[in-house]
Amino acid sequence: MKANMKDINKNCETCPAHNLSNLVKLGVDMTHFDFVVALAGNPNVGKSTVFNSLTGLKQHTGNWPGKTVGRAEGAFQYNNKRYKIVDLPGTYSLLSTSVDEEIARDFILFGQPDVTVIVVDASRLERNLNLTLQVLEITDRVVLCLNLIDEAERHNLKIDDRLLSKELGIPVVKCSARQGLGIPDLLSSIHKVATKEFICKPYRMTNTSKKISNAIDDINKKLKEQFPNLANTRWIALRLLEGDQNIIDAIKSGEIGKLSFVENEN
Amino acid sequence: MYKLKLSIRFISAIEKKYKSMIYLLITIIVLLIGIIIYSEFTKKQKINNQKILIEDSLKHIYDCEHRNTDCTNFSLSGSLSLSKEKTSKIIDLLIEKKLINVIGNKFRLTSEGKNYALQVIRIHRLWEKYLAEKTSVGENEWHTIAEIEEHNTSIEKANKLAAQLGNPFLDPHGDPIPNENGEIIYNETLTLNQVKINSIVKVEHIEDEPKETYKKLFNNGIYIGTILKVKNVLNEKIIIEVNGKELSLSISEADNINVSIVSEVNYENVIPLSSLKIDESAVISFLSNGIRGQQRRRLLDLGIVPNTIITARMKSLNDDPTAYEVRGTLIALRKNQSDLIFVKKNES
Amino acid sequence: MLKTKIDMDKKEEILKLANKYRWELGENLHDSILESIYSDASNITNKVVSKIGEKPKFDWDRLIDKLVTGKLTGFPIMFLLLALVFWLTISGANYPSQFLSWILIDNVHHYLKMFSQFLSFPNWLSGLLIDGAYLATAWVVSVMLPPMAIFFPLFTLLEDFGYLPRVAFNLDFLYKKVGAHGKQALTMSMGFGCNAAGVVATRIIDSPRERLIAIITNNFSLCNGRWPTQILIATIFIGGAVPNYLAGIASSAAVVFIALLGVSFSFIVSLFLSKTLLKGEVSSFSLELPPYRPPRILQTIYTSLIDRTLIVLWRAVVFAAPAGIIIWLVANISINNISLAEYFINWVNPFGLLIGLNGVIILAYVIAIPANEIVIPTILMLTVLTNNITGFGSGAGVMFELDSVQQTEYLLRNSGWSLLTGINLMLFSLLHNPCSTTIFSIYKETKSVKWTLISTFLPIVLGILICFLVASVWNMI
Repeated sequence: MKANMKDINKNCETCPAHNLSNLVKLGVDMTHFDFVVALAGNPNVGKSTVFNSLTGLKQHTGNWPGKTVGRAEGAFQYNNKRYKIVDLPGTYSLLSTSVDEEIARDFILFGQPDVTVIVVDASRLERNLNLTLQVLEITDRVVLCLNLIDEAERHNLKIDDRLLSKELGIPVVKCSARQGLGIPDLLSSIHKVATKEFICKPYRMTNTSKKISNAIDDINKKLKEQFPNLANTRWIALRLLEGDQNIIDAIKSGEIGKLSFVENEN
Repeated sequence: MYKLKLSIRFISAIEKKYKSMIYLLITIIVLLIGIIIYSEFTKKQKINNQKILIEDSLKHIYDCEHRNTDCTNFSLSGSLSLSKEKTSKIIDLLIEKKLINVIGNKFRLTSEGKNYALQVIRIHRLWEKYLAEKTSVGENEWHTIAEIEEHNTSIEKANKLAAQLGNPFLDPHGDPIPNENGEIIYNETLTLNQVKINSIVKVEHIEDEPKETYKKLFNNGIYIGTILKVKNVLNEKIIIEVNGKELSLSISEADNINVSIVSEVNYENVIPLSSLKIDESAVISFLSNGIRGQQRRRLLDLGIVPNTIITARMKSLNDDPTAYEVRGTLIALRKNQSDLIFVKKNES
Repeated sequence: MLKTKIDMDKKEEILKLANKYRWELGENLHDSILESIYSDASNITNKVVSKIGEKPKFDWDRLIDKLVTGKLTGFPIMFLLLALVFWLTISGANYPSQFLSWILIDNVHHYLKMFSQFLSFPNWLSGLLIDGAYLATAWVVSVMLPPMAIFFPLFTLLEDFGYLPRVAFNLDFLYKKVGAHGKQALTMSMGFGCNAAGVVATRIIDSPRERLIAIITNNFSLCNGRWPTQILIATIFIGGAVPNYLAGIASSAAVVFIALLGVSFSFIVSLFLSKTLLKGEVSSFSLELPPYRPPRILQTIYTSLIDRTLIVLWRAVVFAAPAGIIIWLVANISINNISLAEYFINWVNPFGLLIGLNGVIILAYVIAIPANEIVIPTILMLTVLTNNITGFGSGAGVMFELDSVQQTEYLLRNSGWSLLTGINLMLFSLLHNPCSTTIFSIYKETKSVKWTLISTFLPIVLGILICFLVASVWNMI
């Protein structure tokens, strides 16, 4: 892989910064893909721009919270692997009852994407980490894309991406999708997580009150007994506490047992 | 030439069809009004009168049993506002349908009757919850609408309603909602009268009758989940501090409020967010439970959660809304929202 | 069998356990979970983010915000910017519109006709395809494309910069009074470009109730397709009714009045909806003011062309071509030597006169549902057809416009049009059903037949009522 990275760099000395030789933008041609990538993020963080620079599609993007409604799909090919990429609606959270959040939540849980890319606004990291931490509760194959890094720098903010990556246990890539910066790194991180070259050790909530974490642990234990293959039982437990009917139905029908995530020991 | 020809044609056309056109127009309007009245009428007709009476009596009897008081023909006729004869007829019907047993002059629900009663209660409370969370229907209309809808909603529809609401277990008045199987759990709480001076309590339940008391309480921002402090008890009056104001309640009013003791919320010196001046900062203490449903979730998602620093940044041309800076983001809130968010100013 | 039973029991047990904990944890679980997530987020952020250097001496964002939301500067800046956008659109679209119309309608249409003669097409076929479908489409393209290609990129630039949310912030107090969301100010402005685009733009409103209000009232923004009709009719009838030296001012004032009337209707109807039909729908307000970002001009022009202009244009074309065919057919299919169009016009004429219009106008609005742009050409064609006037146009079913306003005036006045017809046509052009592209967009956005029907019929019922009132008052005086 290291050799591979060098190749990219070599090629890129002669080509425009964002025009990766290994990247083939496939637009909406989504036949025979090897991996599914979900693209999540808050509204108005340039998620659509990232989507466009990966797929070569031209979704409209604007400086407005909540531009993309519904789900857009596209595809690209990288290192001879074909990726289908699903642009989820921009949401602030995954815990509420709105339709958008349900689409995003259920896709990440039931759609079982190979990689979930979370696009965040680097200049407003704290607000964006809300969604990030929630996604990390559901799935452990995540890449964080620190988008709009140029905006953060304009506001004199310096972000230690290595420390952040260590804290969250997932790859973190600095990006400015508008200028096409960081896309090569993003692609290689997606590739590494998809091919399990990078094993994520996602951060899990720590600050919950004793009462809540006891409840989650207790339900978690029971869930693990019943569905030994299920990875994100903590999230399922949390959703049960929130009374999510989709999850209740999935437990009753046993469908949830089919969601056998390959969990990393941690 | 053209003009002449044309005007002749127009005049003759008017003579021929002008009247019929007016008639047509009137007919259409009358038809539309008719359809509206008819649909309203049938809506009311659909509610089977007998069914309503049965369900309301079951509810009344269940309520008596729950409060350990005795239900009589008299209390039932009062609650249904029916004549004695009609009430007797209903009771006969209930006995015939094996929903109640009569022992002496007291009624007891059979297990079938109890299940039926709980079902109606479940639907009623789900509707109230739905109206509170998912609609902008005003607080004083919840009960009235739920009273109608409880007789109109099938079990399947009720279950769907519950799923949509995330299977709630409390209605907006703090009453428990029976589950699908008719199981109900009651919380043990104190009334406001039973609380010691200086304790900080959380409102768990507010009796929705009498209406005047209920109205007074919610006009003063007392909802389920509202935190308040009992300051003093004087001359049959209870002085409480709520939402940064003092309020005095009569004993009977205080009896309508059930509370649980909390100590973790620091309730000293809070002011509403709306009272911040431009460029003033404060720390969020809590969101009043008057902010509910989608509205509450959205504010929490935007990072307006307790222990967050919030700064007023700019006012709109008409002073409302105001933009606040929270976690690096500018968010505009209308005054009716910022009135219900309580903050503490930094001492430093 | 036994195993599945045990399985079921275990599943039930899990659900029961969860329910037990829900009771213990109480209602504020959601609040406390979010609070703890945010406190984690805050801890992590404090570790990894550091401010470098001194605090910037000058905060551009704050300065711009002070200016655009300031008590003295806010409104003037807003009006100037919006006026600039409209002025650029209306004056800038003129030349490309004329050019397109010269190419598509004057030349290509002519050559297509010659070509079809050369291939000896039967008359009906060339009429149907070239005079019907092609001409309607060409008309829509040449009138619609230039203003949209100017308006949308300009609007998008303001949007990308981050200015538009501030407009919503400034105007929210007005919308709050009628139970709507401040962002409706923007979808309404967008509607002045194109109602279909305005309807799609209501996605920025995240509360369903306020969004429906914005969708239903969007049609009260006088869209690009209706401006030419307003200007033409105002010039002929309003300008003609006052002394010559006042004509220019009076006619432009009349057009502006109609546009403002539309704005007031959008407020009145919003208020009406929030008191009646939409009373119970859920309502919430949140408005984020994003940081300003330097707009990328070329990219914006490109994406807004692709995304907004072309998509709306495509939808319009899809609807215009069949409409062209229908227009040609009703003008050319005759029974007893009287065309279908004439039958309909004669039948509906009394009703038309009742509301101060005439049968021609009503038929034109019925068959020109796809696009407001073809209303005037259709009216002219039908007027010539029904009144057997010679010397104008090029035959039944062929839409046309006249080179000079004088000729149009001569034609209309000679067909019985009065000042009342002119005024009511202007009113009706504002208050009638949305074009089919918009109706389609409303359906796609709301996914509800009920709301689509309401948004379609509410304005037309209003329009008929208002026109009827004006006509009655007029006839009394």
